[in-house]
Amino acid sequence: MSNNLKEQEELQKQLRKDALRKNWKLFSQSKLGMIGLYIVAFFLFLALLQPFLFITGIWNPAIYDPVVGYDQIKAELLVIECPKEYPTEKYESYSDCPGPGEVNIKKLYMAPDLKVGEYYDTFIQPAPPSKTHLLGTDSLGRDVFSQIMEGSQVAFVLGLLSATLGVGISTILGTIAAFFGGRVDAYLMRQSDLILMLPSLPLLFIISAFAELKVWHLAVVLGVLGGLGGSVITIKSQALQVKVKPYVDSARITGGSKWQILFQHILPNVAPLALLFMVFSVTGAIASESVLSFLGLLNIDMSWGIMIYLSQTDGFIFSGLDFWWLILPAGLAVTFLAGGFYLVGRGLDEVFNPRLRKR
Amino acid sequence: MAEYIIRRTLQMIVVFFIFLVSSYLLFNAIPGNAFQNLLLNPDLPPDAYEKVLKTYGLDKPIMERVQLYVVNFFKGDFGYSYKYYPKTPIELIAERLPRTLMLFAIVNIVAFYTGFLVGKVLAWRRGSKSETWITVTSVFSYTVFYPWFALMMLWFFGYKMGWFPIGKFLYPEKWYDAPWDSDVIFVLMIKFTVIISVIQFMAYLLTRGIESLTQRRNIRFGSLIAIFIGSYLFWNTGDALTKKPYAADIAYHMILPVVVVTIVAFAGTALLTRTTMVEVIKEDYILTARAKGLSQKRIRDRHAARTALLPVVTSFIFTIVTIIDGSVLTETIFSWPGMGQLLLQSVLEEDIPVAMATFSFVGIFALIAHLVADISYSYLDPRIRIKSQG
Repeated sequence: MSNNLKEQEELQKQLRKDALRKNWKLFSQSKLGMIGLYIVAFFLFLALLQPFLFITGIWNPAIYDPVVGYDQIKAELLVIECPKEYPTEKYESYSDCPGPGEVNIKKLYMAPDLKVGEYYDTFIQPAPPSKTHLLGTDSLGRDVFSQIMEGSQVAFVLGLLSATLGVGISTILGTIAAFFGGRVDAYLMRQSDLILMLPSLPLLFIISAFAELKVWHLAVVLGVLGGLGGSVITIKSQALQVKVKPYVDSARITGGSKWQILFQHILPNVAPLALLFMVFSVTGAIASESVLSFLGLLNIDMSWGIMIYLSQTDGFIFSGLDFWWLILPAGLAVTFLAGGFYLVGRGLDEVFNPRLRKR
Repeated sequence: MAEYIIRRTLQMIVVFFIFLVSSYLLFNAIPGNAFQNLLLNPDLPPDAYEKVLKTYGLDKPIMERVQLYVVNFFKGDFGYSYKYYPKTPIELIAERLPRTLMLFAIVNIVAFYTGFLVGKVLAWRRGSKSETWITVTSVFSYTVFYPWFALMMLWFFGYKMGWFPIGKFLYPEKWYDAPWDSDVIFVLMIKFTVIISVIQFMAYLLTRGIESLTQRRNIRFGSLIAIFIGSYLFWNTGDALTKKPYAADIAYHMILPVVVVTIVAFAGTALLTRTTMVEVIKEDYILTARAKGLSQKRIRDRHAARTALLPVVTSFIFTIVTIIDGSVLTETIFSWPGMGQLLLQSVLEEDIPVAMATFSFVGIFALIAHLVADISYSYLDPRIRIKSQG
């Protein structure tokens, strides 16, 4: 008897493995999905690399810490005097004058001994990318690459946590609404109306006014709001399609209780869509966190949104691409990670929805 | 159907009541007694202060205040703005709403139209190289970090190139001796845009029955030219001629926000259209159409795209619901003084009457549009029938 059970278990394991392998094969056929997976894996690698570098001592926390680290980059600048009229041989216009590696003598009122043609030793912040700082330092002398890594940790924790929570809530509520119908359905739908009615960004502003929002809190707030809102409607429409399938009827006829049918027959068949939904809602969660940090409303030490917020408040964003390492990495990181999750979602969509496949 | 609408309306009233009370309590939860802001306004005459204090019971406990607020709300009395004292929230909304509607009506029309066209082509060219590139571009613009992207565009086109103004919706120096409020111009422009799009939409609907594709396209193109001539005549005659320079000023300020938001917004529609089109192409009637020997274009435009239009229309209705909510970020970045900015400022500066009024405005808008979406969905898709249950 026990032998038989064991065999059955092994058979089930084998079946599950086969299904996984088949799904993986389907997923790996979609090129864009694989690109998305590589992007997500790259950022995950970055997120895990930073603690590793600190623990092994390759990076000194005093220098490379994303929040309190500080490094002085020494530079020698040639002292020159800017001409009064433009264009000259060397400079085309007024804005070209202290070129790279040069400093205008009029700016050096702190060091009156220097003369034109001498070299002036100084510390530059923000420093451009170098061997010690792969993406340079920001205006406070902190390593930008380390900040990007810290930001990807925040993005992963927040995105995955809020997406899991939100999709968990909306899957359960959506299937309940579809299964029971009637008053329960009406109540749940009006509840999601209520959440959809509240303007999301101002609502988060109000919440951030009376609660200190850290990463965890924000993830819970975003998850609950997302889970009670629009996604209940989407999951419900999917569950309605599952509800009328013949196997649900046969389960009812053979005497399955309501909750048994709900949890053993309907929920597992809605789960693929829920997983898909989760991957897509990670994109939204990352974007919302970045927007809130960008507006300076979160109580987070460092994130991609805060990096953009700092580069904007310090006025680097309108200085063009002279300080590209302050502007581009953070913005592109948000875009690429969100895009990576989106592409993974698209690949999964083709796995779960046979009608989307090529053949 | 009638029973369903009545039921939904009753439910909506209950939901709105809960919404009103909960948002009032939410504002009340902000620390530092937001209602004391009233005291801080030096423009407020003492008798007005007394009056507001009495009608809203600001010195009474919270539950009584909620009661008073709800009663006053349904009487149509929203109080006065704390910040712009003599103005009521309704006046402020009436002033700001046309600006937001103007900007986002154009954005949404353009974005949905181009998105639908791009999505159609994407699904049809499945597996080709151009599909991959267009998809990558649209995914990039769909997931790009919007404030960052908008700031970069502002920097490039507004600051470096100097082609477009940075922020604001008009040059104040041009408006010193303007005989009109800017809102008069905005309302005129909205009317103009709506009439144009209605004409083009009617032309689209009327030509739907025409069999020949080239003839249909010619007629649509002709209607477009007619619209151009008509609008040229409109702006060069009578009353509109004197308003033209002011309208042109506003339109010039609108170009950059419209382009940036459209780039971000069109991708969502394109990707949605693509997914539904790809599913629709697998249907049997497409196979039948192919077997009949119809041309590729005809199958794409008349058989597949029409079915794929359905979710796009629904998402269009839902986008209209979230116009004000979605305008918050755009209007902050481009300093466009519309509803989004009003909403954000009133929340940040704890101008409670204005914030409550805008919140409830957004709420009513969302509720009604949601009902309209549900009803129109059941009309558009005969597979979905609303039963007489909630």
